[in-house]
Amino acid sequence: MTDAHPLNRRQLLALGMGGSSSLLLGGCALNGVSTAVGNASQPLNERLEALLQGRGRVPEFRSDQIDPAALLVNSFNGVPRLDPQRYRLQVKGLVGRPLSLDLGALAALPQHTCVMRHVCVEGWSAVVAWSGVRLADVLRLAQLSPLAGYLLIDSADSYFESWDLASALHPQTLLATHMNGAPLPAPNGAPVRLSAPIKLGYKQSKWVTGLRVSATLGERRGTWEDQGYEWFAGL
Amino acid sequence: MPEAPAQATTRLRHNPLWTRAFHSINLLVLIVMAASGLQIYNANPVFGGRGGATVPELFTLGGWLAGGRDWHFGFMGLYALNLGLWLALLIQRRRRRLGELGDLSALKASASGPRRRLSAHRLTYTLMLIVLAFSLISGLAMYKPAQFWWLTSLFAVAEPFGVSSWQALRLSHLATIPAMVLLVVAHVVLSWRIGGLRLLRAMAL
Repeated sequence: MTDAHPLNRRQLLALGMGGSSSLLLGGCALNGVSTAVGNASQPLNERLEALLQGRGRVPEFRSDQIDPAALLVNSFNGVPRLDPQRYRLQVKGLVGRPLSLDLGALAALPQHTCVMRHVCVEGWSAVVAWSGVRLADVLRLAQLSPLAGYLLIDSADSYFESWDLASALHPQTLLATHMNGAPLPAPNGAPVRLSAPIKLGYKQSKWVTGLRVSATLGERRGTWEDQGYEWFAGL
Repeated sequence: MPEAPAQATTRLRHNPLWTRAFHSINLLVLIVMAASGLQIYNANPVFGGRGGATVPELFTLGGWLAGGRDWHFGFMGLYALNLGLWLALLIQRRRRRLGELGDLSALKASASGPRRRLSAHRLTYTLMLIVLAFSLISGLAMYKPAQFWWLTSLFAVAEPFGVSSWQALRLSHLATIPAMVLLVVAHVVLSWRIGGLRLLRAMAL
């Protein structure tokens, strides 16, 4: 071979064609690389997502756009039945005043409704009206420490989530007790669930029983995140 | 090779480096985007929802939904950067190479075969750039529907026809795959007719 290149161009072309077709055929071998690809790109993507989200409130929908049939129910561990009388929402961690709120205490706080597009990571979406108290109001009631950076969310079905504090304090992030004007049905998270138009569905924990304010993220970042889903999951 | 020595010594005239880089990066990135996109499709098929038919595993990349999303959102930046740079360079340096309305009339009326082929080809690759840009826009509208609500709401044009804006968005984002496959085939066939394998090599390597 007189060419200075170690491979001539014809060989390179063949290699390229073979390589790209094996990408299709041998995709399975590449599946193990997925997490590395995600880890390489997510820090930048997350920064852009947080930057976009920093612009505050997002537009809401009209109530005639609500589509109850479109909202599918996903549950990772069945439907826990919580007794509304004995229900308590625990707020602890880096707060000046740990709280244990019953449903009456939540109902006494200012109530808000957000008609939003609920987007599932699977690809479907539904316009839903969630009503309840602002998560920010509950956290401020508990007197957040200036060291607070993250919110860890425990659910009755042992589902676990963690949020960055800015998303938790977003004015449209609610601890919802009502859906489409009626009390929250059990499969949708009764008596209290998270809702936010700025996050994918799996961030919006149902059957929320505990909020823990933390300075750092632990080993566990979330039930689905630990399986490989994105942590920020902004919309 | 039983070719004339004069031809054998003719050096391949390569396209500019940026043309070749765009072509080869784009080929790789588009395969990754399409295969990982089909992986995401399978989590909730656009046609039929949860009960709908899924795409065979052979054409998917990522193994499951989270893996598909890793690839799709990992490569979207590269895709956008590559397309953006190419469009900027084309508009700046090669304006007359893009298709225009004159090409449509040439296609209909020109008696010259090569002129018609040139017009068809210019229209083909200009259309490819439009489809690629549309894919980026519809993808952005689906990736960040709350922040880019104004993009997402453009798809409400389908609502009078009984299709929700979300379904219209998913459908049109998906439709860019078959559209690109057809256009790539046309682009390769037309290039082949002009310069055979030599031209294809000059374009990509």
